Amino acid sequence: MELAFSLPDAQTLMVGPDPAMVLYFGAIGLLVIGIAGLLLSRHLFRMVIALAIAEAGANLLLVIAGFRWDAVAPIVTGGVPNVPMVDPVPQAMVLTAIVIGVGVQALALAFVIRIRETYGSLDMTVLKGHMDRDVDLAAGLDVLDQEGPAGERPLPAAGDPAGTGPEQIGLSGGRS
Amino acid sequence: MSASAIMNADMGVMGHAMALPVVLPLLAAFLLPTLNRIFRPMARIAGPAVLAGCLVVLLHIGSHWDGQPFSVALGGFAPPLGINFYVDGMSLLFATLVVIMGLLLWPSIHTGDDSDGIREHALTLLLIGASVGLALSGDLFNMYVFYELVSVASFGLVAVRGTGAGYVAGFRYLMISGLGSVLALTGVALIYTHTGTLNIAHLGLLTGKLDSAIGLTAFALIALGLGVKAELFPVNTWVPEVYSTAPRRITALLAGVISKVAVLAIIRVLILAFPGEEARQLLLALGVLGIIFGELAAYRARDMARMLAWSSIGQLGLVFVAFSLPGDVGVFAGIAIALHHLVIKPGLFLLAEHWGGALTALEGEARQGAGSLWAGLVFVLFALSLVGVPPLPGFWAKLSLAQGLVAQESAWHLFALLVFLGATVVEANYLFTVAVRMFKPASKPRPPRHGVLNLATSSALAGVLVVGTLAIAPLGDYIQTLAGQSADAAGYVTTVASDAVEERAR
Repeated sequence: MELAFSLPDAQTLMVGPDPAMVLYFGAIGLLVIGIAGLLLSRHLFRMVIALAIAEAGANLLLVIAGFRWDAVAPIVTGGVPNVPMVDPVPQAMVLTAIVIGVGVQALALAFVIRIRETYGSLDMTVLKGHMDRDVDLAAGLDVLDQEGPAGERPLPAAGDPAGTGPEQIGLSGGRS
Repeated sequence: MSASAIMNADMGVMGHAMALPVVLPLLAAFLLPTLNRIFRPMARIAGPAVLAGCLVVLLHIGSHWDGQPFSVALGGFAPPLGINFYVDGMSLLFATLVVIMGLLLWPSIHTGDDSDGIREHALTLLLIGASVGLALSGDLFNMYVFYELVSVASFGLVAVRGTGAGYVAGFRYLMISGLGSVLALTGVALIYTHTGTLNIAHLGLLTGKLDSAIGLTAFALIALGLGVKAELFPVNTWVPEVYSTAPRRITALLAGVISKVAVLAIIRVLILAFPGEEARQLLLALGVLGIIFGELAAYRARDMARMLAWSSIGQLGLVFVAFSLPGDVGVFAGIAIALHHLVIKPGLFLLAEHWGGALTALEGEARQGAGSLWAGLVFVLFALSLVGVPPLPGFWAKLSLAQGLVAQESAWHLFALLVFLGATVVEANYLFTVAVRMFKPASKPRPPRHGVLNLATSSALAGVLVVGTLAIAPLGDYIQTLAGQSADAAGYVTTVASDAVEERAR
């Protein structure tokens, strides 16, 4: 029964542009979108989403690596012997990759929450300035030199010498 | 499993015991938080105890091993469909080193909140178990999974201090690492599309199918992906941030050991599946760029932790340049430099725990009593060996690389040689500047700053270095054997194939 369903379906799909090509281009497109987003965005949450998109592209690429249009789902042959089956190995691998991806994204979001709590911002440029300055301070370096990202970082208020009060920098994170 | 059961085991059982150093730490990491609630004193010692057990297993296998590489089919499913562990001199050595260094650099529990300490223990166990798996794995996808486990464990460890800078560094590290995983996974998908297998030995038989632009792309993607942990050139921006914010013992573990295991994984893939010239040239170019950027940035660094972090990138660049040389020579030089760095860098990071601050503040640091004088001397020993002053092991490691590069007689390799020699000069400059500053008379006296445990660990590593200097000839022979085995792609394929046949017959 499974077979009766899948065969005509595949044939009607074959009429338009080659579906495998569509999927390949889709997967590569997702990868490119995700990687570009990861490299270009400054907002932490967008970076997490971009990573998720890129992972979806890689997973799709792996799934279609083992897919055959004239075959049925593995093991489910509808009682007919010697039917061509879709390669189950990439599917098992993609399941693993999806699970890993979800775990990593959850961890990334946990980081995002902690960062927002600590620095009150989600803008990577601002945060990198904070991080560099905190590292310099911890190392006992003079942070008042002109090397820091001046202009991108709010000046410390008089009552807050560390300049990390969430109320000052919260603006940039809360908006976007 | 009791020790006597392993003692009486035959080769097959011994092979399966190979899974224990992977499984036991993973299991213990999972159970540790629960154990901590039930019986806290036991939870504190459980981690080191498990690692000690793994070390016993590995040493036992090492001492009873006949020197012939063998493959273990996990769960009795023969490769290429099943997953196998490939055990040769190099993977056994690195697995053992990971466990030993894990014990040496075991995070000391902080006073205060105990559950945080236990979390750190659990993550370290996870890191070590997964690294051992990465060193042993003979399957590309299995490597990817272990690599992800290593990544996730290290994200947690980086942020374990709970500082804002630690979280930002951890997040940036996670993003680069995530990008790396996506690239590696894409490479894996490309390889699977073209060959239909992910077993590395099986790929060794099908190298013809990967000898194309797509094959090279796949290698580049996998090298960049796994290269995040190995501090390979364009994907190493996390290194100074993470190494300067994470606890030093974690930094020492990541810089010293985990990076080498990732290198080992890349080299396995290179030797077996991509014997072509282009893949090597790619690695050579990335290695050279890594040396240039790492050493120049280290020269400009103003604090100890980041100086060591950048210098670590430069050293890993050297390792990649070495492994890009064809044949035994390259593998020999690569292993030598990697092992040398594995001993030295953790030692330096531990010394930096209390000197982590600005380089200018280090004046007279070695003149603050016996402990700090000793620390200063250990630093000088490490610096001398890192630069490559004879007769220390660093000299022989660098000499083997220089000879390998000269023997290649191509413009690229000569350029790499020039960069390598120039980098050594730069390295000598910044390391000796620090050393000289430390031994200057102090402007004002300070209390001694070195923790006993860190200093003892550093001293132990310095001891290893001295022993290595004295026993340089047998050490060289040993590495030569390892290099011969690892560079032997045909031997790898035959071993896995014949062991798979045996497994099926069982």
